[in-house]
Amino acid sequence: MGTHKVEQLVIATVGFFWCFLMWFSTAAFSPSIAANYHLTIKDLGLLASSAIWMAPVGRIIAGWCSDRFGAPRTFAAILAGCGLMSIASAYTTSYELLFAERVIVAIAGVSFVVGIQHVAQWFDSHEIGTAEGLYAGTGNVGAGVGALLLPRIFGTNYQTAFLWLGVIALVVAAWYLLRGAAAKTSERRNAVRRRSDAHGTIFVWTRFIAIALMLAYAMSFGLEIAMNAWLPGYFTRGFHDEILALGFTGVAGVQIAAGSFAAVESFNASLFRPFSGFMSDLFQRRGWTPLPFIAKELPYAPRLHWLGIALILITLAMIGLTLAGLYGSLHWSVTVLVAFGIFLSFGTGGTFALVPLLFPDRPGIAAGFIGGVSTAGGIVYPLIFADSANIHMGYLFVAVYLFVPIVLFYFWAARYERHPEEHGLFIAQRA
Amino acid sequence: MNPVNIRVVPHEPWYRYGVACLVLEMAIAIAVSAYSLYMTFNGLGGFLGKH
Repeated sequence: MGTHKVEQLVIATVGFFWCFLMWFSTAAFSPSIAANYHLTIKDLGLLASSAIWMAPVGRIIAGWCSDRFGAPRTFAAILAGCGLMSIASAYTTSYELLFAERVIVAIAGVSFVVGIQHVAQWFDSHEIGTAEGLYAGTGNVGAGVGALLLPRIFGTNYQTAFLWLGVIALVVAAWYLLRGAAAKTSERRNAVRRRSDAHGTIFVWTRFIAIALMLAYAMSFGLEIAMNAWLPGYFTRGFHDEILALGFTGVAGVQIAAGSFAAVESFNASLFRPFSGFMSDLFQRRGWTPLPFIAKELPYAPRLHWLGIALILITLAMIGLTLAGLYGSLHWSVTVLVAFGIFLSFGTGGTFALVPLLFPDRPGIAAGFIGGVSTAGGIVYPLIFADSANIHMGYLFVAVYLFVPIVLFYFWAARYERHPEEHGLFIAQRA
Repeated sequence: MNPVNIRVVPHEPWYRYGVACLVLEMAIAIAVSAYSLYMTFNGLGGFLGKH
């Protein structure tokens, strides 16, 4: 089959975009579902959180499957399975069954690591940052597009939306299966398949640099999905008087204002992600290694420095959010949030510009571990934010007690000038 | 993955379109940010209408 790497990038990006659309389509229609089934606030919270339940374990399995069976088969299976379940959920009249079906549809979110593996199998090291950034950033926009467009197109008729989302998912699955190719060369494909054993999985999971990248991704993407859920409530409660002073009245008005401010983080974190991959490529091309301690001689050392800068900026932005909140300035808070969203994208794009280079023979397993376990941050951070006596202080607590140690660990794990993947627990040498 | 010297290898043709695409995406993000910031100062005066 004649193909080109750009075609493979487009297939992976469209597939991921549609999976992201399906992943967050339940949230887009949660008011309609709540009205239809007379749900309580507690039920709604459970429905919202259920979107992330399958991500940590699901991404680990999906990453391994993409190495073992190839990305096209794995991605097509995810699209087809989630699409069929979405169609079934369109005809369900019991809320309990609908809830279970939508949890299964949310498995679509695990497709991220499959596409990462697919793109890594086609693009070379000098362009991997931009290619992975375009794939992940454009695909991530599916969440925002879904929230903006689905309610406008389908109104309160979520059943029709779920039906069409499922049908189109089946079409995309067929396209992926027909035109998708697992790797640029059969040698590359076979090398990855051979390494997809239990030993290889343990090897990746125990590397210090893999753990550091997983924590870096928890600091960026884990925080991104946590903030998606947390920020509307934060602005509603933390800046209630300021929002009222702007002329927004009633619950609906305050919700629209809070949602618009919160969207700044989501849009910037998604849409600046390709730029972050481009910056990683640029650091690499120019050989920039400005940070102390981090390796300077590794073939991909500049990319390690770019990610280190991103992690420092995220930590500073979290402190800035607390300061703006304590100062009581809505303007400053939204301004810091703009920078915060951009810095998050630096972290997400910077991480996955590195993963395929550090583990070229196990891209799926590595992406599954780093992209999977880190999503637990989406559950942990809101709990810490909500536990603070002052609603603005949670960002500072997370920055000081979680992010500073993570950044220090990253600097420590990225200090090796030769084969950092050989340093870890239990297994000393490259498998 | 091919071990190429990134500092000398030229960009392929697709890369230009990739960069154009990421610039467009950034422009959208900046527009959304500008609108939200505008809203923090002017409240009701947005294209979303009065609330």
